[in-house]
Amino acid sequence: MATEQTAEQKSTSSQDASADALLIARVLQGEKEAFYELIRAHEKSVYLTALSVLQNSSDAEEVSQDAMLKAFHHLADFRGESRFGTWLIKITLNEARMRLRKQHRHMWESIEGQSEEDESDYVSEEFGDWREIPSEALERKEIREVISNAVAALPEIYREVLVLRDIRQLSVAETAEVLSVRKEVVKTRLVRARLRLRDMIAPVTTSRGLFSRNPFRRGKRPWS
Amino acid sequence: MVLNCKDVRREISNYLDDDISPEMRAALEAHLAQCKHCTAILDGTHNVLVLIADDRAFPLPAGFSARLHERLRRELESV
Repeated sequence: MATEQTAEQKSTSSQDASADALLIARVLQGEKEAFYELIRAHEKSVYLTALSVLQNSSDAEEVSQDAMLKAFHHLADFRGESRFGTWLIKITLNEARMRLRKQHRHMWESIEGQSEEDESDYVSEEFGDWREIPSEALERKEIREVISNAVAALPEIYREVLVLRDIRQLSVAETAEVLSVRKEVVKTRLVRARLRLRDMIAPVTTSRGLFSRNPFRRGKRPWS
Repeated sequence: MVLNCKDVRREISNYLDDDISPEMRAALEAHLAQCKHCTAILDGTHNVLVLIADDRAFPLPAGFSARLHERLRRELESV
């Protein structure tokens, strides 16, 4: 996806922001029920963001709930400088990282301690003729587990950027804002995350005989 | 501009995002036209991105929304 939004995306984004602004105003006027509507579209992003840090479903769910509550209590502080969803994800990421620190798991996988490797040193493996997994395959738990395990196996700095950018489809700028890093850092991490993920998933899927050819074509976005 | 495989790996992600200069695009496509290995990496990475962007790839745990709303209801009542 291009970093710059298309006119259609800008329009949709603007409509979403307007709808969110109305809901936020209703909540702030005391209509608590409007908060459920406000967060509905963001539940999965919040959960997957928490999971990308904590790697444990129960912890991620609890942190998701904590983050939603924190967002409710601090809703008056939301200035609309970013999308509501981006603000909420940032709260979630901070909550998840605080939880991780409390659990002392950073001794094993430190956010600060993970080095930015040069992606050009990474040798991507060759698996012959890559073929696409048909969309219906995602109905199979086995295939979902392959993907989920591969994402889980990424180092945290790569997992976070992949979840935000490629799974929840934030823009590069929004991903950078959530992670408090420069856009160039997002792009660098993204190269490594994508190549590693491909190398983990390709051997498994290539051996299943499920596939049809789907080469990348210029101008076609990966997720379109 | 002539690219080697290492250069292509560095730019492959920007190419997929269509976030690349016309000169770099031309050089990258010239390399891809004669390098099966880099083409396989490009196609594979593209396919992985298609998979993980699918909403079914990462479902919420069963009952997630109900438990979330229940906790919110409990805590918001006391506000």
